[in-house]
Amino acid sequence: MTKTTANAEQAVMTKESLKQFKGRSMAQETWRRLLKNKGAVIGMCFMILLIIVAILSQFIYNYEADIITMSAGSSAQAPTLQHIFGTDKYGRDIFARIIYGARYSLLIGAGSVFIGLAVGILLGSLAGFYGGFIDNLVMRANDILYAIPNIMIAVVVVSILGTSPASLLLSLSISAASAFARITRAAVMTIRGQEYVESAYAMGLPTWKVILRHIIPNCLSPIIVQVTLAIGNNIIAASSLSFLGVGIAPPMPEWGAMLSDGRQFIRSYPWMCIFPGLAIMVTVLALNLMGDGLRDALDPKMKK
Amino acid sequence: MSDNILEIKDLVVHFETDDGIVKAINGLNFNIRREKTLGLVGETGAGKTTTALSVLNLVPDPPGKIKSGTIMLDGKDVLHMTDKELEEMRGNDVAMIFQDPMTALNPVMTVGDQIAESIELHQHVSGKEAFEKAKEMLKMVGISESRAYDYPHQFSGGMRQRVVIAIALACEPKLLLADEPTTALDVTIQAQVLDMMKDLIVRRQMSMLLITHDLGVVADVCDDVAVMYAGRIVEIGTADEVFNATRHPYTEGLFDSLPNLKARGEELVPIKGLMPDPMNLPEGCTFYPRCPYATDACKAKEPQLYHMGGTHYVACTAYQDPNFRLRRNSNG
Repeated sequence: MTKTTANAEQAVMTKESLKQFKGRSMAQETWRRLLKNKGAVIGMCFMILLIIVAILSQFIYNYEADIITMSAGSSAQAPTLQHIFGTDKYGRDIFARIIYGARYSLLIGAGSVFIGLAVGILLGSLAGFYGGFIDNLVMRANDILYAIPNIMIAVVVVSILGTSPASLLLSLSISAASAFARITRAAVMTIRGQEYVESAYAMGLPTWKVILRHIIPNCLSPIIVQVTLAIGNNIIAASSLSFLGVGIAPPMPEWGAMLSDGRQFIRSYPWMCIFPGLAIMVTVLALNLMGDGLRDALDPKMKK
Repeated sequence: MSDNILEIKDLVVHFETDDGIVKAINGLNFNIRREKTLGLVGETGAGKTTTALSVLNLVPDPPGKIKSGTIMLDGKDVLHMTDKELEEMRGNDVAMIFQDPMTALNPVMTVGDQIAESIELHQHVSGKEAFEKAKEMLKMVGISESRAYDYPHQFSGGMRQRVVIAIALACEPKLLLADEPTTALDVTIQAQVLDMMKDLIVRRQMSMLLITHDLGVVADVCDDVAVMYAGRIVEIGTADEVFNATRHPYTEGLFDSLPNLKARGEELVPIKGLMPDPMNLPEGCTFYPRCPYATDACKAKEPQLYHMGGTHYVACTAYQDPNFRLRRNSNG
């Protein structure tokens, strides 16, 4: 008796899952496959947690009192229950600074990538679609940018505009834009020759609509993957620049700047470097796990 | 108003590549009568698809160039339209069905949206209305309305071709260009799709240019037939004239390479040789190197069109001699 009910239930289940399968769009399909990838799920959970923490940090901590006020009495304390990541040489709680610093790292990482994305997609799709002169112009400018180390570009931008989060954002967006322009151009060139693009023209769509509605949506999967990876890269780049002193100026609690501050005490007070370093590493790792998971999920050949 | 929906005169289309000039179409002339279907037959590389793209003024440029000629669509010259006029004409007056339904649909848009797109563009209705109309179109081509929300990868090849046809017919064009619409489908589905197209064309009083290399399809669907070789029409007439009173050696060759149901044991006779390199066309008659009836006269000059009675014309120098007959005709 129970067996029959179980069977019946199963039959209903398969029918329902079949219906689900039929109505599933490509986005849903990708999402389902992404959830099967453990690394990607862990990375995603961590990123969601970090974003929540970064948003809440300003309600938990008072910037003036908790983040930048120095207190000589608690200088360079090892991790304790009160200061679980210890304190830096000015007696500031490293845990609080890392939490607060997440906002800067994430904002600069994501912000520079999205600015770069907008510019890169625009230039890349024009270059890939029209070819010829525009293509040469965009891609040769791109080659020139590639030939200059990103740090050099950042140093130049910062020395012209001064040390500020905005100039850091700008300098990182420049290199992100060139990477996205490259990827978009390559993708657009393959999609441009597809029959559905020709068919869109035969339907009477104007060129800009063809690009916007038919070409770019089909180029998105390599771009999405690149976005997650590029955010990680740019967080590292921002930290490196802060470490070198051309990024965010102290006393703002940026991870790279904190690393740089702790550098001279690494032998005696290693926690000053370990924790900001770990924060950078774990965040970038989480983003890369997400990126890898997305790449697999978007690759039709990985379909099971 | 002229009797013809489409008149192509002396069309020349070249592709100018780095390696040389590819002469795809070399002085093409034909008309399509209103509410009639013209079958354009020829081997791969004869310039059939380029002809269809020329009608939409969509020959990929570069490298393609429409060098000369006129294409009159319902009395308007397509080659002298502004971009705006072209956009209004494409999809609305003339629609095209592409060869491969696997690649002719955008994989990231639902089929409903893809049909609605054209309706929204040309009939200036809201997105919602267009989508409702798209559902009707789906029903018309025999697909359930509920599938409008599905993506192309969820359809089989035959169903996709139906969707492509629904997109093409969405704005009720006057002329349909069908570029080998059934070549990529298996035989059972071919018949279904063809029947459906035939039916819709009659019901909606459309004209059609059916491009194919399948003479069986032509016999089934077309009123008129034009046989194309190396960018020119070599024989044109009603289906009856071309099938039952074949005049051009090339057309004869096409028929001979088809299996004959009445004489099953008979060997197939392929046309010897290959289509000439369009970068390097032979002088005189382009079919001359492959033609079993070739004489020196064929090599000397381009054949003119000979009138064979009715609407039947053939471009073959052999008809200078009024007693010339193809083997096919003299035997039976």
